[in-house]
Amino acid sequence: METRSRNLFLIPYAFWIALFVIAPVMLVLFFSFRGLDGGFTLSNWTHFFTSTYFQLTLSSFWYAFLITLFALLISYPTALILTKTKHKQLWLLLIIVPSWINILLKVYAFLGIFGTYGPVNALLETMGIGTQQILFTDFSFVFVSVYIFIPFMILPIFNALDKLNPTLVDASRDLGASSWETFRQVIFPLTASGVKAGCQLVFIPSLSLFMITRLIAGNQVITLGTAIEQHFLVTQDWGMGSTIAVFLIAVMAVIMFLTGDRKRGLANEKNV
Amino acid sequence: MNQNTIIRFDQVTHQFDQTVVLDEVSFEIERGKFYTLLGPSGCGKTTILRLIAGFMEPAAGSIYFNGEKINHLPANKRQVNTVFQDYALFPHLNVFENVAFGLKIKKLKKSDITSKVKEALKFVNLEGYETRQISEMSGGQRQRVAIARAIVNEPEVILLDEPLSALDLKLRTEMQYELRELQQRLGITFIFVTHDQEEALAMSDEIFVLDKGVIQQSGTPMDIYDEPINRFVADFIGESNIAAGKMIADFNVSFAGKEFECVDRGLQRDEPVEVVIRPEDLTITEESAGKLQVKVDSQLFRGVHFEICCVDEFDNEWLVHSTKKAEVGEQIGLTFEPEAIHVMRFNESEEDFDKRLEGYSETGYGN
Repeated sequence: METRSRNLFLIPYAFWIALFVIAPVMLVLFFSFRGLDGGFTLSNWTHFFTSTYFQLTLSSFWYAFLITLFALLISYPTALILTKTKHKQLWLLLIIVPSWINILLKVYAFLGIFGTYGPVNALLETMGIGTQQILFTDFSFVFVSVYIFIPFMILPIFNALDKLNPTLVDASRDLGASSWETFRQVIFPLTASGVKAGCQLVFIPSLSLFMITRLIAGNQVITLGTAIEQHFLVTQDWGMGSTIAVFLIAVMAVIMFLTGDRKRGLANEKNV
Repeated sequence: MNQNTIIRFDQVTHQFDQTVVLDEVSFEIERGKFYTLLGPSGCGKTTILRLIAGFMEPAAGSIYFNGEKINHLPANKRQVNTVFQDYALFPHLNVFENVAFGLKIKKLKKSDITSKVKEALKFVNLEGYETRQISEMSGGQRQRVAIARAIVNEPEVILLDEPLSALDLKLRTEMQYELRELQQRLGITFIFVTHDQEEALAMSDEIFVLDKGVIQQSGTPMDIYDEPINRFVADFIGESNIAAGKMIADFNVSFAGKEFECVDRGLQRDEPVEVVIRPEDLTITEESAGKLQVKVDSQLFRGVHFEICCVDEFDNEWLVHSTKKAEVGEQIGLTFEPEAIHVMRFNESEEDFDKRLEGYSETGYGN
């Protein structure tokens, strides 16, 4: 009786997943084996692995890596300082709030800030450096992406640091470890789960960014995300677009699997 | 300053958001002894420990270690190690790695580390547990790992912050013996913090009783139990009957409406005092033969003895520990020796108190 009513409650969820997750993935998979003429073909896949797409994939990964790295380098110290402030929840909120604003709006704001007549160039002008081309460069692409993703990196790291038992830090100091040794041997290893979660949350979406590449990088940077968008909307080659999409989904699954908390035992120990 | 002094507090004051946690505390700790800081929560005992460990700096006053001022010396540069209340074992390291942590920081040779860790684990009866995860250890075993992690560094002082409070009664008693024995084998100074007076009495060479950021009394367990300086100490250490009284003359004190012979002297004539009699010093007799006449109010069986609560005609409560049973509602008599009466003056400083008591023993009236 009880299990049956529980299954009843599952219906909306199952329906949702079937309609909006499983069906689209299946469709995309189906399209990836379909040529422009509508027949079954493997050419999309052979094309993907032999042509410039491979180069594209590499550069996608490279940019996603850079974005994740810079986001981490900025977020970890920030989270560390946040946990030590008096009103940490308030400070955290201030960092999280921008993520509630539509990403498109924020990206447009950067168009103004980095533009030829924007404040950044005005500043460079008064400093005597002169107007620079900032928009439509790798730099602006990585900069804006990092800005967009920082809250997603800070939140899991902050939570991990906040949960860390402060006596462990005392114990490490007590046993003769300097601040740096304490960080390396106690604080970082015990918050690695937060770092991992943050990297997942940043790296995977970074792979398929297309809006920022379009608007900020002006297609100077082409990632897999841009490629999918172009195939579906511009060249109308749904088969090729689907192939890239399937590849991305597969890569994400692999990354999730590799970075996931496979050691269940370790999770338990953290509650000690 | 004594040659044997290892730690000295000189008028150390510590504040926490305007609240005074320690108020001009001064004391000396000697090498190789077992000290206990005893007091209720919020009395400042843990603050003293944290000041010695170096997790805090005092607001005023000086802390000396081996004669050197260490007020601002960071924790990792101090020759002390702490056993924390929650043990604070590193959950990402196994038993061996936990114990080896301090030695690795000191960059000892691998073979030295292995042999020292093995020795330390042997000391706390945890041989063969090297590769265990901390999550697989019981509370008592974790406690031992924490102790091993501290002693392996061969510190001059080990600080223990209520390390037994998380254990059950049986294990706690066992660990009391073990800790005491360990301290004697190692011969290093232990400073033990607890709110459990039985623990303090059982283990210590010397006890500091703290309340409200002030050391109320310091001395051996027997000194403190037999001769508490004031109402707080008498009440906190063991059970006591405390009655308001008046010193009629030397060797004569009045309380509960009568005069009694006692061993105290040197007080003002007619000075108001408080009188302490321990429940085990009271003996039940026939009503007519008793020095005090009381009515039995309630009785509890405690196993070792009966705890009998009596009330006299002035509504003073008298707690009696007796192996004999009494009847509730019965009128009985209580007797006691003159030595059982301990007289406490109001607001007497520890110095004056010690002087007064020393005076008694010189004339052969030790109590």
